[in-house]
Amino acid sequence: MSRAFLLALFGIVAFGLWGLGAQPNVAVYVYNSEVMIFWDPSDTYSNEIIAMNNMYEQLIRYDPLTDSFQPVLAESYEKSADGLTWTFYLRKGVKFHTGNELTAEAVKFSIERTIERGMGASYIWAPVEEIEVVDRYTVRFHLKYPAPLDLIASGAYAAFVFDPEYSDHEWFAAGNDSGTGPYTVEAWKPGDYLILKKFDDYWRGWEGKHFDKVIFKVVPEPSTRRLMLEAGTADYTNMLPITEIEALKDNPEVEIVTTPSFQNLLALFNTQKPPLDNVLVRRALAYTIPYQDIIEGVRFGYARQSRGVVPYGLWGYSDRVKQYTYSLEAARFYLAQAGYPEGGFKLLLTHVAGDEDERRVAELWKSTLAELGIELEIRGMPWEAQVELGQAPDPTKRQDIFLFYWWPDYPHPHSFLREMFGTRDEILFNFTYYSNPVFDELIARAEELAGIDRTEAINLYVEAQNILMEEAPGVAIYDLKYARAKRTSLKGYVDNPAYPHVVFWYECWREE
Amino acid sequence: MVGNRGFWRDLRYLRRTPLALMGLFGILCLVVVALFAPWIAPFPQDARGATHIENKFLPPSTTHLFGTDELGRDIFSRVVFGTRISLSVGAFAIGLSLLIGVPLGVIAGYVGGWLDEVIMRVTDTFLSFPPLLLAMAISVTLGPNLVNAMIAIAIAWWPWYTRILRGEAISVRERAFVEAARAMGASRLRILVKHVFPNCLAPLVVQASMDLGSIILTSAALSYLGLGAQAPTPEWGLMISSSRSFFLTHWWVVTFPGLAIFASVLSFNLLGDGLREFLDPRVRRRIKR
Repeated sequence: MSRAFLLALFGIVAFGLWGLGAQPNVAVYVYNSEVMIFWDPSDTYSNEIIAMNNMYEQLIRYDPLTDSFQPVLAESYEKSADGLTWTFYLRKGVKFHTGNELTAEAVKFSIERTIERGMGASYIWAPVEEIEVVDRYTVRFHLKYPAPLDLIASGAYAAFVFDPEYSDHEWFAAGNDSGTGPYTVEAWKPGDYLILKKFDDYWRGWEGKHFDKVIFKVVPEPSTRRLMLEAGTADYTNMLPITEIEALKDNPEVEIVTTPSFQNLLALFNTQKPPLDNVLVRRALAYTIPYQDIIEGVRFGYARQSRGVVPYGLWGYSDRVKQYTYSLEAARFYLAQAGYPEGGFKLLLTHVAGDEDERRVAELWKSTLAELGIELEIRGMPWEAQVELGQAPDPTKRQDIFLFYWWPDYPHPHSFLREMFGTRDEILFNFTYYSNPVFDELIARAEELAGIDRTEAINLYVEAQNILMEEAPGVAIYDLKYARAKRTSLKGYVDNPAYPHVVFWYECWREE
Repeated sequence: MVGNRGFWRDLRYLRRTPLALMGLFGILCLVVVALFAPWIAPFPQDARGATHIENKFLPPSTTHLFGTDELGRDIFSRVVFGTRISLSVGAFAIGLSLLIGVPLGVIAGYVGGWLDEVIMRVTDTFLSFPPLLLAMAISVTLGPNLVNAMIAIAIAWWPWYTRILRGEAISVRERAFVEAARAMGASRLRILVKHVFPNCLAPLVVQASMDLGSIILTSAALSYLGLGAQAPTPEWGLMISSSRSFFLTHWWVVTFPGLAIFASVLSFNLLGDGLREFLDPRVRRRIKR
């Protein structure tokens, strides 16, 4: 039985299941898991953002790669010199799907409702003291302390504006929406599909090429998603394993889109347990990671070596931060200085069981450490158990190396620095157990400055990261590149890492 | 009476059944491979975790008999070293479950009464769980590593031996030679050890040799699920689990460890089957001597 036959068979099945995909002006996004986890735009914190960002809009949209903002519901905005007052001037004549007009009152109501519900990512609004309606189309935010409100207002979560008249939680949960976005709900079958249709009164109009409908289809099996894409019954899919991506690479009808992500893999060193309490040993360890082998061998090139701990593409990343390279000579030098010329110690590395990439990273690393006489014990554990061991009361009972992924809730370098390396009374994610008052001071000042003077804030973040590189309480190994696959005929797609996995369908069309 | 010597004599008749002989031969091969692994494996360091990323996914060739995996390790060397792990897991787990199960079974069967009731109800409780599920649960609780997996398997397996031994002990207890020993004033312990236990041996050997196959399979299953051996141990189940996502593009990464599991389980089952036929008098009568 040939491969082509199997392919055809799968194609027929996929087509039978989802014939609509081939229709003109209907876009199909096959997604690996349930799409609508939350329907309430205030609570959103999960997969639904891939649909919600087409149903709802924020005041502004952020482009992290150029560190710039595009006007959406707000035509323009300004901030006071102290970074405490932000004024947004709204676009006039914007209609909600309910027919009502967007006003400053609606913005105030939406954000306040989100803050009051306190769900999902609503904490990003923590700096807001008061929201003031200046006039029908002007809204002003007063902050408790300086904060980058433009980043907050453009968040992929918790920053949607909706119609106050249609904002009942139960009404949302029944599968309704009251946004201003280009698409609105037509049909929803949990665990199966969500169909959005175009909203005729959308403020940007429907001139030019656009899709009339967008279908989000839930297909957990990666090979089925690949086959649907090959058969043309799907336009776009995300989260394909590298093996499937490799199988698609040579198909001219399919395009692989790689994009930097804000997700990086970190190895956190236990700075309170010998021998890693010695900075020289930690530095040596940072030189033993075979960075390039890992990127090629584990990620098949879909990653780039981290520099500092802030991932590439996120502001705060800088070429001025030191980067470790793989060098056994350097490692030997530091080990000898630390009094371990022959190695001779054992380290325990924990990672999440079932994460094949993490396991392979650990295996490659073990192999290089063995050359230095260091034995690495690799322990794959369920996440809860890994954390529990990391939080054991006695630091010497904990792991030596904690391997895991980190990503921010909104595009800000702060969480990378504070959660893992800042002084914490209670261990939440600080599995380095690192505490350095100078570092704490730097990142605290940087956070304050972020809303006033971004350039100066970046300088401080660079300085803070260089302290981390010097003291090596941990290393970021690679920044993930996401690989998605789309039909070559799908045009207009631009990936934006600030809105993970989101396709802004209004901007896309199909070249027939 | 099937005495101790009789049992060993019976073993010789194995050669008359080709299938059992094949099983025995397979097991001998496994043992030889396990004993001489460092000399048989061309790249013994690969089994200990050395990686050569530049050699990844080489197809089977004369250098790499079974090809290489996603980190460039020689699969043949790893399968060879995996034999050691699988056999020792099997031996250890069987040993431990016999150690728990046999004394309990003999005591329950011979002594009887309330002691029998207590032991057998506990045994029934354990038996009410499917062995793999129970082993998984225990392994999760103890923490995933190879030693804990062996313990978990032993805990899941011992009740079967208690059951068998109890049945045998009950039938042996009423036999004339036990009666005679009792009449001569032998102590209970002496009767148990010298007379009852040796006469229960036959079904035990059959069961244990059959179980070795299942245990190897179970330990591979546990490792496949991430509950047994940890990377980079060359455990067969773990090797399959680690490389499974590359199976469609590189068939050899999964096939050879799989064949190793298949061959060892088959060998133990064939031997067990052969033993059963010889030790079962009803079956034995039908086979020409």
